[in-house]
Amino acid sequence: MTVLQEPVQAAVWQALNHYAYMDAVFLAERLYAEVGSEEALYLLATCYFRSGKAYKAYRLLKTHTCSTPQCRYLLAKCCVDLSKLAEGEQVLTGGVLNKQKSQDDIITEFGDSASFTLSLLGHIYCKTDRVAKGSECFQRSLNLNPFLWSPFQSLCHLGEKLDPEQIFRLSSLHIPLAPPPPISPAQNPSHRLDTALMETPQDTLELNRLNLESSNGKLTSDSTVSYIDSSLISPDPGSLLANTVSMGSTGSLLGKQNKPKSGRSLLGGPAALSPLTPSFGILPLDPSPGDPTYLQNYSGSLDTQQTAPSKKSVSRIGQSKSVFSQSGNGREVLPIPFSQSQSSAPHSSTTPQVLSPTLVAPPNIQPRRSTRLFTSASSTAKENSKKLKMKFPTKIPNRKTKCKAAKTSNSNLNESLDILKLDSSMNDSKSLTTPGYQSISLQRAATDMVLSMLRELGRGYQALCCYNCQDAINILSSVPAHHYNTGWVLTHIGRAYFELAEYTQAERVFSEVRRIEAYRVEGMEIYSTTLWHLQKDVALSALSKDLTDMDRLCPQAWCVAGNCFSLQQEHDIAIKFFQRAIQVDPGFAYAYTLLGHEFALTEELDRALACFRNAIRVNNRHYNAWYGLGMIYYKQEKFSLAEIHFKKALSINPQSSVMLCHIGVVQHALKKSESALETLNKAISIDPKNPLCKFHRASILFANDKYKAALQELEELKQIVPKESLVYFLIGKVYKKLGQTHLALMNFSWAMDLDPKGANNQIKEAIDKRYLPEDEEPVTEDFLYDSAADVEESSMTDADDSQLHTAESDDVL
Amino acid sequence: MATPSKTPPGADPKQLERTGTVREIGSQAVWSLSSCKPGFGVDQLRDDNLETYWQSDGSQPHLVNIQFRRKTTVKMLCIYADYKSDESYTPSKISVRVGNNFHNLQEVRQLEMVEPSGWIHISLLDGANSPIRTFMIQVAVLANHQNGRDTHMRQIKIYTPVEDSSMGKFPRCTTVDFMMYRTIR
Repeated sequence: MTVLQEPVQAAVWQALNHYAYMDAVFLAERLYAEVGSEEALYLLATCYFRSGKAYKAYRLLKTHTCSTPQCRYLLAKCCVDLSKLAEGEQVLTGGVLNKQKSQDDIITEFGDSASFTLSLLGHIYCKTDRVAKGSECFQRSLNLNPFLWSPFQSLCHLGEKLDPEQIFRLSSLHIPLAPPPPISPAQNPSHRLDTALMETPQDTLELNRLNLESSNGKLTSDSTVSYIDSSLISPDPGSLLANTVSMGSTGSLLGKQNKPKSGRSLLGGPAALSPLTPSFGILPLDPSPGDPTYLQNYSGSLDTQQTAPSKKSVSRIGQSKSVFSQSGNGREVLPIPFSQSQSSAPHSSTTPQVLSPTLVAPPNIQPRRSTRLFTSASSTAKENSKKLKMKFPTKIPNRKTKCKAAKTSNSNLNESLDILKLDSSMNDSKSLTTPGYQSISLQRAATDMVLSMLRELGRGYQALCCYNCQDAINILSSVPAHHYNTGWVLTHIGRAYFELAEYTQAERVFSEVRRIEAYRVEGMEIYSTTLWHLQKDVALSALSKDLTDMDRLCPQAWCVAGNCFSLQQEHDIAIKFFQRAIQVDPGFAYAYTLLGHEFALTEELDRALACFRNAIRVNNRHYNAWYGLGMIYYKQEKFSLAEIHFKKALSINPQSSVMLCHIGVVQHALKKSESALETLNKAISIDPKNPLCKFHRASILFANDKYKAALQELEELKQIVPKESLVYFLIGKVYKKLGQTHLALMNFSWAMDLDPKGANNQIKEAIDKRYLPEDEEPVTEDFLYDSAADVEESSMTDADDSQLHTAESDDVL
Repeated sequence: MATPSKTPPGADPKQLERTGTVREIGSQAVWSLSSCKPGFGVDQLRDDNLETYWQSDGSQPHLVNIQFRRKTTVKMLCIYADYKSDESYTPSKISVRVGNNFHNLQEVRQLEMVEPSGWIHISLLDGANSPIRTFMIQVAVLANHQNGRDTHMRQIKIYTPVEDSSMGKFPRCTTVDFMMYRTIR
């Protein structure tokens, strides 16, 4: 029975890897009907899930018992995708009502996929309001697998203060306790390179099991280590090395081609790797694997040319062959993998076909290789190397030169640095002659590179989430150029500028993002709001059209469309689009916030309040929503409530000068003028470029009868924003109060010039009323404020309109 | 007697809306008509389509009643009338009344139109030249061109001034530099 399964399974995996989901599903269904084992069930469910039909996978797994961890993980994932959070939790932990498993239980149960399981569980907890447990799960998940970004991201969003330095690190703790990290150095860089296609949980499980065994062995004593090493090395040094070489040479993507041939399946039962195993730590032994980009390029090239890799592998085998010959192992390299695979006990490989030109590593080699990987990655590396030293007094230089010679055109600084690092490390431990060990050290260098990159990005992201925007910009701008010029980094830099209210800078960065990655939608809603602030309607409508054409199912596109219409003052249409964004993704907090703003602009304050509250429900740290609530209460003149909400928003984002400005205004409305002035001073110190802070400070000073100070403030403001009619209007009022009517008139007329529409009613009144006694002034001012609502940017049509109005009324009456 | 000059059309109210100074609030009101021909009623009057119209079907004066849920500030009323397409159905004398309810209406504006051919803007200002605050507005068609009995009205829009009170009792800013910092969005 087992024998029957494997060709079919291999065929299914091959189909999956070629995205031929219909074929994969068909075969998997036949296999399941034939065999009915849990392996086959898992395979079928995977086919359904990958083809985008999570509901099919869900129902399938529900109706049949699934006891294996992979099945349960997949079922939980389907549940979460279908928003059945309680059920997902029950699958993973035994549910809320029953006795729950602790996270340690989960870790031991799920083994290698524990990090993903915990991440999923953390996600469920956060969505169901158990934030503490959720963040704990995320932490554990990160401990297990420092290459996972999404738990880190979620933790940042929760506002946790993390230390990326500690998180993105392969600690020696990883190795004994949990198998995944040992695999990870080799695995994950290639994971990062390949898509999820290449991964099969069964493989990881199997590998991890073997690793666990071997690593458990490691735990006991060094002798075990040496045992492992010797077992690895002594019996068939050449073959093993050859295997590692071959594994290395195939690179991660060759597994694809190997799929139909390797024909091993892996589910609980006899360990057999799916054809996708190459993702496990098969890094090319070619030069500078330490450079992730190189790896990318390399695997990319592997992708494209099927024959080339084989050539490379062959050539490398040739190289290794020569190494072997030097070291005295004159064995034939090529046939050995075959024999190895066939001799491997727990695995049943099918035929030598398995290792046709594109090589695949027999599974039994891999675990050991992985142990070697993690031994190298661990702190015991040196000890290992010493032991290896004893075994392999072969020369390094050849390898080195070959490495250098075989260097492809992907050279860049990093690469050469890595080579130098490798050279030095190779020089240090002479034992690094074995290609296998070399590959390990190269991989270790690679993972170090990757992790250091993650640390940098993590620090930057963390700073951004705590709204230390200037720090975030500095950190993110200092990443290497080839990373800087990617959508992710630039988007977050743009967002940092946006939060600092430096909208022109943000716009510049975002337009760069659009140029580089036109397909990127994450962060486009921030770009659209930037354009909204800058009132660049053409750019905004172009962006809106692009995004809605490209992806109608992402909330960001509809947010952009809504912003576009909001800028055109078509608030009803904007509301429609924001509601669409919410429909598309009810978990997108910003859509609720924008909808709330639109309702506020259409004076539907109750609905606006509801929207802002929804936004806060989705994301407690969405300070824009807190600000929105404060703004609504301010409009309703509930000033103390407004102040509370503004302060809450400020606590989340302490560096926002606009927020401080608003708080100042509210405090003034609450008659706390001194604290208002203090707040405004703080705002100005944070961001001296914010003209509104100065304006409001001036107006508060004016209201407190400190005319000289107000005037001084306004004069400064005049220098900053010379075209703003409000400034002149306020100056005029101050002069009026001071009794200098000619200066007041002058300023009013300037204000009128800059804004003819408003001037007709408001400023004219101000001029006419100048002869009224003082006690009537407040009335006048209120009246002015009311009619001053007409003041708006000048436009020819408005001027025409007013003329027409007058013409018409003349006609009529 | 000199031929009275034709009423010139006003600007498209959409333009006005785009300036952000006014906002159309017809959707906040309940609209009713004194009479209408089937298929030519309130929907056609409020559908943003200049091709469709309301046709009255009773005796003069023909009334359009606009009732708000709460006392609303109304700045301007815009009516689209086109003599070329409506001829004798085109209203010629319109009276605008405001009040709290049907029994409480008082005329605030009366205007005569001569062969209008577009949007007619009727500004509703009280004695102090500020927009009126009212629960109800009634637009009465007192007479049509060529003494027609029934009237066509193609579109009515009603506008309220936009008060930007997000930053204190100040008029709106004019420059982008100021507006950028006005709000957190």
